[in-house]
Amino acid sequence: MQITKLASDQRLQAALLIAPALIIYAVFAIYPMIDVVALSFQKWNGLDANRHFVGLSNYIDIFTKDPVFWVAFRNTITWTILSTIFPPLFGLLLALGLNQRLFARNSLRAIYYLPVIIAPIAVATMWRWMYDPFFGIFNQVLSLLGLQSWIKDWLGARDVALYSAFVAYVWQTVGFSMVLFLAGLQGVDKSLVEAARIDGADRWQRFRFVTLPALRPTITIVLVLSVISSLKAFDIIYGLTGGGPAQSTQMLALWAFTQSMQIFDFGRGSAISTVLLLITLAIVIPYMRWAQKREEAAE
Amino acid sequence: MTVLKTEAFDNAAIAAPPRDWVLVGLWIALAMVAVLWVAPFVFIIFTSFKSTAAVMGSSAFAPPTNPQISNYVAAWSRGRFETTFTNSAIITVIKVPLGLFISAMAAYALARIEFSGRKMVLVLILFGTMIPFQVMLAPLFTLVNGFGLIDTYPGVILPYLAFGIPYQVFILQSFFRGVPKELTEAARIDGASHFVIFRRIFLPISLPVLAALCILDFVATWNEFAMALVLLQDQKMWTLPLGLSAFQGQFSRDYGQLNAAIVMTVLPAALVYLIFQRYFVSGLTSGAVKG
Repeated sequence: MQITKLASDQRLQAALLIAPALIIYAVFAIYPMIDVVALSFQKWNGLDANRHFVGLSNYIDIFTKDPVFWVAFRNTITWTILSTIFPPLFGLLLALGLNQRLFARNSLRAIYYLPVIIAPIAVATMWRWMYDPFFGIFNQVLSLLGLQSWIKDWLGARDVALYSAFVAYVWQTVGFSMVLFLAGLQGVDKSLVEAARIDGADRWQRFRFVTLPALRPTITIVLVLSVISSLKAFDIIYGLTGGGPAQSTQMLALWAFTQSMQIFDFGRGSAISTVLLLITLAIVIPYMRWAQKREEAAE
Repeated sequence: MTVLKTEAFDNAAIAAPPRDWVLVGLWIALAMVAVLWVAPFVFIIFTSFKSTAAVMGSSAFAPPTNPQISNYVAAWSRGRFETTFTNSAIITVIKVPLGLFISAMAAYALARIEFSGRKMVLVLILFGTMIPFQVMLAPLFTLVNGFGLIDTYPGVILPYLAFGIPYQVFILQSFFRGVPKELTEAARIDGASHFVIFRRIFLPISLPVLAALCILDFVATWNEFAMALVLLQDQKMWTLPLGLSAFQGQFSRDYGQLNAAIVMTVLPAALVYLIFQRYFVSGLTSGAVKG
């Protein structure tokens, strides 16, 4: 009797402790995610009382009648691939360098990390000014170096705008990868590195055969986080180019927003969101299973 | 203690030969890239003190000759910084402590109380750390609008809470699981409820983790743009990032003022980071890498 009372009391206490967080999370994060899928099968302008079920027509529309969707799709993929290569690679190099006993290494780390904490919209505003065709820093430096022919309207030219935006993104995100790699490097057994050194392994061999294998879990985590955060790229594009010129920097997240909140076609916007959501899930779910297995192995 | 210290010292002396040219080269390379990394900040700060004529007339790297504080004054009033600053401050000051508190409660229950469905809740929470809210801006607007909370503080604080909870619960529950059982068992036997144990034992010992999460969350909340863009339509309710974005749209040719606006928007988060740097790194990495 006493025990059952205690158990039910336990459950009640657990429920009370979890409820506030779980309710807010379910209502304002999980429900909208389900609703976005529901909306993608409906026609709605955001105002009417009724949402009409229209089956797959929103999907058919975005796939066949919306040329911008495919531009946004391609840009998102390009952006994601670039974001999975460059920020992690630079981050790893910086972490390896700043893991050495170097003069002022804490200050150097702080400098590289600083852009991470700046609002992406402020980064966009900063870089838009730096890319200013007339008075911006880039064109000024180029003309200073006598490279006038390289001068461009970095955000206004269709063929380079996406890459210009990506440079700003790299500047902002490299510090994040660096910090994760620095943490991962703390987990590399120093005595192993030392043993390899005594056995005559040079720097490259020590890195290749000792440090790199030990970093493998960190590398996976950094890559997955890079992919996920690149799919979310919204603020920086919104602030830098707004998707232009001529939709050449349009992305799925921004295009979904534009369709729903500016053109008031919630159905199409949600269909685009759902496509992005599916891409994200295709990466997140395998990763979660991997992480869970790893945790179970550790226990 | 002293013995340990000298030993470490000797090791260092052996490991690092008098002059390692690779390390010297490495340092020079890292320092040069670091200069590139701070260059944008220098450029922005310099411009923020220049008059428009000086921006057009002088080189980008020329320090301002007679610094113009007037850019800041003008940008402050034209950019409605008083309003946006107040709104950002109110939202952050309510959201961050409240979010941490309810996350810590849930994390305690998940870490320390056995109940059915515990594992499922954990997976659901972990899942939440990775879904992008940028995908759900439209349904979020619909939902908040349904509650009649567009252009209100609760209307933006509740979604902020929802998207902050997963990461915080996840980090805190893995921290709580590492707390020795003996610490709480005695209190349980003495008849203390879980609420008491949570408040008297777990909250105090987790202060360092809470501090780290608090600072991370402060920066994230302060910087948030996309949700605010959808949920706060009335200018009177705008936060700093919305104000900056609008400022750029309206006054992008007032270079000095625009850059002053950037500096004022970025400064609070930058100061918090520089002061609490140590916590940042621990907060970021405790969850992700150690896992």
